[in-house]
Amino acid sequence: MTTSSRGLLAALIVAAPVLVGITHAMLAAFGLTGLAGIEPGWGRAHAVLTDVTTWRSLAWSLWAAAASTVLAFAGAVLIASLFRSSSRTDALARALATLPLAVPHVAAAFVGLLILGQSGVLARISYAFGWIATPADFPALVYDPAGTAFIMTLAAKELPFLALIAFSLLASETDRLEETARSLGAGPLEVFRHVTFPLLWRGLLPATVAVFVFVFGTYEAAAMLGPSRPTPLPVLAMERYAGASLAQRADAFVLSLLALVLALAAVAAHELLRRRRWEVAG
Amino acid sequence: MSSAGAGPRLPRAALARKSRGGAWLGVLLVLLTACGDARRAGPSAADLAAGPWEDVVLAAEGTRVVWRMWRGDPSINAFVDEWVAPRVRDRYGIELIAVEGSGQELVNQLAVERQAEARGASDLLWINGETFHNLRRMDLLDGPWSGSLPNSAAVDSTSPIIARDFEQDPAGFESPWGRVQFALIYDARRTPDPPRSFADLGLWILENPGRFTHDQSFTGITFLKMLMYSLGGGVEAFQGGFDEESYAVASERVWRWVEMRRDAFWRSGLAYPQEVAELHRLFANGEVDFSMSNNENEVITKVRQGTLPSTARPLLLRDGTIANTHFVGIAFNAPNPAGAMLVADFLLSPEAQLQKLRPEVWADGTVLDVDRLDPEWRERFADVADDPRALSRDSLRRYAVPEVAPEYHERLASDWRSRIRDRP
Repeated sequence: MTTSSRGLLAALIVAAPVLVGITHAMLAAFGLTGLAGIEPGWGRAHAVLTDVTTWRSLAWSLWAAAASTVLAFAGAVLIASLFRSSSRTDALARALATLPLAVPHVAAAFVGLLILGQSGVLARISYAFGWIATPADFPALVYDPAGTAFIMTLAAKELPFLALIAFSLLASETDRLEETARSLGAGPLEVFRHVTFPLLWRGLLPATVAVFVFVFGTYEAAAMLGPSRPTPLPVLAMERYAGASLAQRADAFVLSLLALVLALAAVAAHELLRRRRWEVAG
Repeated sequence: MSSAGAGPRLPRAALARKSRGGAWLGVLLVLLTACGDARRAGPSAADLAAGPWEDVVLAAEGTRVVWRMWRGDPSINAFVDEWVAPRVRDRYGIELIAVEGSGQELVNQLAVERQAEARGASDLLWINGETFHNLRRMDLLDGPWSGSLPNSAAVDSTSPIIARDFEQDPAGFESPWGRVQFALIYDARRTPDPPRSFADLGLWILENPGRFTHDQSFTGITFLKMLMYSLGGGVEAFQGGFDEESYAVASERVWRWVEMRRDAFWRSGLAYPQEVAELHRLFANGEVDFSMSNNENEVITKVRQGTLPSTARPLLLRDGTIANTHFVGIAFNAPNPAGAMLVADFLLSPEAQLQKLRPEVWADGTVLDVDRLDPEWRERFADVADDPRALSRDSLRRYAVPEVAPEYHERLASDWRSRIRDRP
């Protein structure tokens, strides 16, 4: 066995659970699992893909994932650039910023609900100050079509992950380049614009894509904080899967495959971007 | 694997000869069939039910029973883990393990196990209604067996609520273990004079905009089903199996009723809580003035836990509120049907039924006909402390209406989504 075929086998073992899952999803999407009450064919896939509900859900999930990823990215860059020195206070700030990493996503979603809900901490503070008279006066951030609470919660939850990578990027490769730029007469803003930020975003890109794909597919926070209409795509898929109607069971798999295609597209776009960058750099 | 010389020779040689595509396919096939064919070796629950009960007890001794159930309520979990489990261990040497799994998730999993012809991972299943309907339709339950349980003699089989599961005949494929009745929950301090019929509730909603909603799950759909009974001429109009035409006419009235009041719902009827637990939270925090529960006594346990305010009360609507029974079934591929039967029998014992009824435990109604028990047990049932929040047995009985065919529930759930939720 050659080294490359051994590598292939290793990759196959790693990918096997996913491949089995995809195979099952494809069979189930086209009703080929032989279960009673499900008719084989394109019927359900066609129905799902021509249903405006599907596309509304997809659009919402894309929007919410993009918005939370951008916010998490911006926050991570900001915190990493502000607290980058080796001073004790900066080290403490960095440690505090990574603290939410330890919080499970379900717990984060629940905290989001407790803070941002119409009877949550912010609403209670507003009431105490006399700004609002009833819970309904507080802006609807939870369950709102824009997904405000969802986006804020996920941004806060993913920020530490990106910040952690940003810390190590700034600690390792940037110092010398920034020093050179400064010695050539660049001001602090110019150094950030032309040296620090380009290095940061390139280094953060893979993790940022991972965050986007994760947020796009996350269920718990979407179910707890997302709107009823449009229904977040993962919630819609789960609803069809857990629904009593056997005929709709296939819908869940069509929706999951649709989400998979989108996630793969994001990864492929990243790969393309990376190659182009190499070509330019090389 | 560090060197090429290690490991068995044959599979590597075989793999090397195959094309890349072949290797992929090969691994996939191995994985798909790895679960293998492992049918149960011993007798089924149906076989056991045909023999003497002593054989069941003998076969169950010292075994392990895995019970798949809804694990969403800490009081129910505590009853099962800390009260039932130690007792079946001490008495029968049965190790009872409760794991998560209910509703369609259960159906989906068993269906996959059937396809893979896999050995089952669970014995006892907590089910009713549409889950039972789908499990039976797909032939995923073992049975009949429930009539052979010694304690089933005291089950209140004259009650239409207990003898039928969403109009279906349990036919020995599930054994009852609890009975509950739907009730709205209101706060006597905030709403001293609550509406007591759907007509009054409809007016109340219009007069108090933004203060009422229902959840998107089982409880909320049950609420809509009772509204359908009320607007469609009573439960009788829907009995005798699913009828497309009665459904079409009555559900149209339900959607019209909702649409006429939608702007006065919480969040103008544009957002609905996913689960009833979230509705309880909205109610406790004063965002809405009503919650609801499938168990008329849930308000008692929730007040004791501090989840609901002490002034919370259950409320029956005069139009009738749905009462139903929940059951345990045995999976078609259960590794231990004898143990499952013994646990199901223990759940029907007066002792377990009484414990479950206690408001500080779970406040789940009994399925036994208490009058048929020994005087000693009758007294103990009568002695269960009457909570001031409990509804009287008479009014519960007077307003109880049965479930109808599960298709009504399924259709209301999916049509509510497309007719109401997904439309602005």
